[in-house]
Amino acid sequence: MRSFEVIDSHVLVIGSGGAGVRAAIEASFSGDTVMVSKTIAGKGGCTTMAEGGYNAVLRETDSCEDHFLDTLKGGAYLNDRELARILVNDAPGRIADLLCWGAVFDVTGECEVAQRPFGGQRFPRTCYAGDRTGHEMMMTLLDRLASTDVEVFNEIAIIDLLKDGDSVAGAVGLDEKGEIVIFRSDATVLATGGGSRIYDISTNSSSGTGDGFALGYRAGAELIDMEQVQFHPTGAVYPYDARGRLVTEAVRGEGGLLKNIEGERFMERYDPERMELSTRDVVARSIATEILEGRGTKNGGVYLDVTHLPRHQVETRLPVMLEQFLKFGVDIRDEPMEVAPTAHHIMGGLRISSGGETSVPGLYACGEVTGGVHGANRLGGNALADTQVFGRRAGESAGKARKRSISLDEGQIDLQERRLAAFYAGEVNPATVARSLQTAMWEGAGIFRTGSELEKTLEMINHLSTLNLKAANRCNLIECCTVQNMLTTASLVVRGAILRKESRGAHVRKDVTQAWDASNSPYRHTFLSLCDEGIETGVWE
Amino acid sequence: MREMTVKVFRFDPETDEKPHFQTYLVRVNDGARVLHALHCIKEDHDPSLSYRYCCASGQCGSCAVKVNGEPVLACMEEATDGMVIEPLDLPIKRDLVVDMEPYLDQIATLVPAEECPLPTQDVVEQIKPLRSCIECLACVSVCPALKVIDFSGPTAMRESLRLALDPRDTGDRVAEAVEDGLFTCTSCQACWKVCPKDIQIPGKAIERLRALANEKGLTLPRHQTVEKLVRETGRSVDRTQETFLEQVPEVLEPYGEVKGTVGFFVGCMYNNRLPRTALDAMEVLRRNGIRVIIPREQVCCGSPLIRTGQIDYLNTLKRRNIDAFVFRGIDTVMTMCAGCGSTLKNDYDCPFRVMDINEVLTKVGIEPPARLELKATYHDPCHLMRGQGIRTQPRELISQVVDLVEMPAICCGSGGGVRSGVPEEAAALAEDRRIEIEKTGADIVISSCPFCEYHIMEHTDKPVKNITTVLLEGYREKDRRKKEKEC
Repeated sequence: MRSFEVIDSHVLVIGSGGAGVRAAIEASFSGDTVMVSKTIAGKGGCTTMAEGGYNAVLRETDSCEDHFLDTLKGGAYLNDRELARILVNDAPGRIADLLCWGAVFDVTGECEVAQRPFGGQRFPRTCYAGDRTGHEMMMTLLDRLASTDVEVFNEIAIIDLLKDGDSVAGAVGLDEKGEIVIFRSDATVLATGGGSRIYDISTNSSSGTGDGFALGYRAGAELIDMEQVQFHPTGAVYPYDARGRLVTEAVRGEGGLLKNIEGERFMERYDPERMELSTRDVVARSIATEILEGRGTKNGGVYLDVTHLPRHQVETRLPVMLEQFLKFGVDIRDEPMEVAPTAHHIMGGLRISSGGETSVPGLYACGEVTGGVHGANRLGGNALADTQVFGRRAGESAGKARKRSISLDEGQIDLQERRLAAFYAGEVNPATVARSLQTAMWEGAGIFRTGSELEKTLEMINHLSTLNLKAANRCNLIECCTVQNMLTTASLVVRGAILRKESRGAHVRKDVTQAWDASNSPYRHTFLSLCDEGIETGVWE
Repeated sequence: MREMTVKVFRFDPETDEKPHFQTYLVRVNDGARVLHALHCIKEDHDPSLSYRYCCASGQCGSCAVKVNGEPVLACMEEATDGMVIEPLDLPIKRDLVVDMEPYLDQIATLVPAEECPLPTQDVVEQIKPLRSCIECLACVSVCPALKVIDFSGPTAMRESLRLALDPRDTGDRVAEAVEDGLFTCTSCQACWKVCPKDIQIPGKAIERLRALANEKGLTLPRHQTVEKLVRETGRSVDRTQETFLEQVPEVLEPYGEVKGTVGFFVGCMYNNRLPRTALDAMEVLRRNGIRVIIPREQVCCGSPLIRTGQIDYLNTLKRRNIDAFVFRGIDTVMTMCAGCGSTLKNDYDCPFRVMDINEVLTKVGIEPPARLELKATYHDPCHLMRGQGIRTQPRELISQVVDLVEMPAICCGSGGGVRSGVPEEAAALAEDRRIEIEKTGADIVISSCPFCEYHIMEHTDKPVKNITTVLLEGYREKDRRKKEKEC
């Protein structure tokens, strides 16, 4: 084995989005903390792109119990009850942290944090900073991070978790020049975000490639409910190359109307009570149905219209949307947007305890890479809250991990070196494989699913996984590893979807007829790990 | 799908001695962005191409590059056939990837107080536009000041103002900003014009910070002298000779038919330092049918005070100037100083129309002058090009009289109080101008701003002339030739 740069720390945090930075801040109180980012910290991940808001109970007329019930109902009662309870209970405290650290949220004339309505919630409890809420949070978190001793490594991709016996003891990284960097730590926090880039149409940033699901899975962690992929109802459809770009739920929160090509407010037929502010799974299916049945626009979308709103409201509450659409030739003050569903958030992920511990000793997780908090469908505004609530908890638990002496497993590092060397001898452009995967997933494991299509998709994934990826130069090594992570993540999603023989939340099986609704389903979580997979049974209280 | 040719900057410091350009033929979908063209190159032609991107929706600031010389976000800018893609003017790591971290590290971070009172709605509304910055560093890449002097840069100043306004922060941001180069900004507006979020950093951040600095007694002594002079004399510069206003009657009638009437706002520099140039301009106007009304009681526009954050006396100046023209029922006020024009247009609420002399002359259409056997280059005044969006009109006039050779439009260093406040920076920027002027091989330098003309004059051995002076020379040559013919 060659000698590598080895970086030792008490806590290693992988990922630099909202959850990762929050975890690193918290862990830094307990010992040396290192944060590794695949991008430049603050720029990658999806937190910075999150537009709409952060759910927290802040008013006396609202209650955590209501937030809990909304979250469960929205999640089709698949949520881990304890995690959901923690989410709603801790969310107000965590937004208070952000405000204390300088976050500039919109406030009311009475100097209280302003809140707006979001889908599936009985109270307007979504706090916001215009429509750049996540960006504001990220800027604030980075400010706070700068005041700690956390050492940040930018533009290094983690390609494998290091094991010391049964426990995780750090990670193997690859820098922008293709050099291996070893991180050795008492505790390792996965905060790598989601992976909806495995779909052809997705809202995710370039880093939403499911790296954490794959890293965790390979290290032996158990993942739950991976079939639960949220399709955001409103993604842009034009220009084609920018398809899937998020059109925030805040547009509907501010009063935006959904209409089909005939000008009909079609939500009346799907959810007359909640209309446009129904939960995302329902709205996404409604839009998909309208388009499938021929009532979509020629670009393959439906209309999302804010032209009836005061121009000032659009300009001040939705400035990012206004700016983006103007760039693409549409003035949303005068013309409707065209939107269609887009893969957005993976509700499933690593199974965690209330303190963010995974099933593997030494490995912690927080944010979108975890499962259970959001059940089968996430409420808009709950993800940003999740990053802060569980980021802090995972950081705190990891900080408390006992110090230990770690022996480097040279065999494991050798294996990684051989994996990288093989890419130089590969034949297939990783971008081509990624594209085939994305198309297969969109067609075979999208909004509407059947057992046979899922099986076919899994075959395709397995086939793609056998291809030898080619690195044209050292800078391409990371891409090859990333595409492997995408393949693993896709496989987990499809296997979960095959295991869950019911329609629930975001997961719809057209080939299954069921005699129960979500609240009394006989099924609980699907689970997948290196040694076992299945679905838990039993009705929740 | 459509095909387009894309020329891309390539450089791998480990293998290449120097950068080169490579041209690719790419196929993209209708409406594709620059980023999608880059994806296409990487996927279909050359996987070794390096560029940064993350969100692909204009929110993370990773993908700023230069397209046809202008900084843009690759993910938002529409791809066009023949485009040239280069990295930002920052230290290059590889291909289109630049080293951002040293600049990001310069941005100050909030240090919260024990008790953290939420900012009021009014303060939030003031801070919000400053917070929309995505730190893409387009502004930093075009800032002329930080290339020649220690300056934390436009976006760092933006955040410093935000922190100064935020009641939760405990730092002394104004004093820090002064340390970090607050007074080195020439107010050239380059940063604002390339900002994908349209954050008006010079006007909305730097000048505000300078005003806060003024409240704390941190204004530079030389700027204080200027302010004192304005209060005492109504002018921001000393008189060194008979002033323009002393040499002209209140109304100048044109030589021929009257095609239009304008009020003339002369400005301190043309009145006190370069009256000859202003007199040349009057001749050109008279020759082209413009009647000029010149109110005597006009004073400094206030620009030197606004740019340096000394705004106490500003309203008095504004009122005196507006009254001077309104009293005479003038509906169009003409400026020939780029700084005055930009100030009247952007910092005043004028009850009349303000036009730069280049706009006036191109609008009426000038009598063709004789062509002079000269090669000239044109220096774009920042307050004309960016402050007033006037770029084509001066060229239209110049090319009627001489051959024009272009040079890059970069600040000469005289603006924003830098010439008086930080002379070594002003000199360094002028030296850069001198080098660019040399490269053009031009015989003369033409501009349209007294500050630029005066400043560049000191740093080049080429003659520096105002556009109207050159036009007048063209007319005199025309008259001479006509006379010659008659003899």
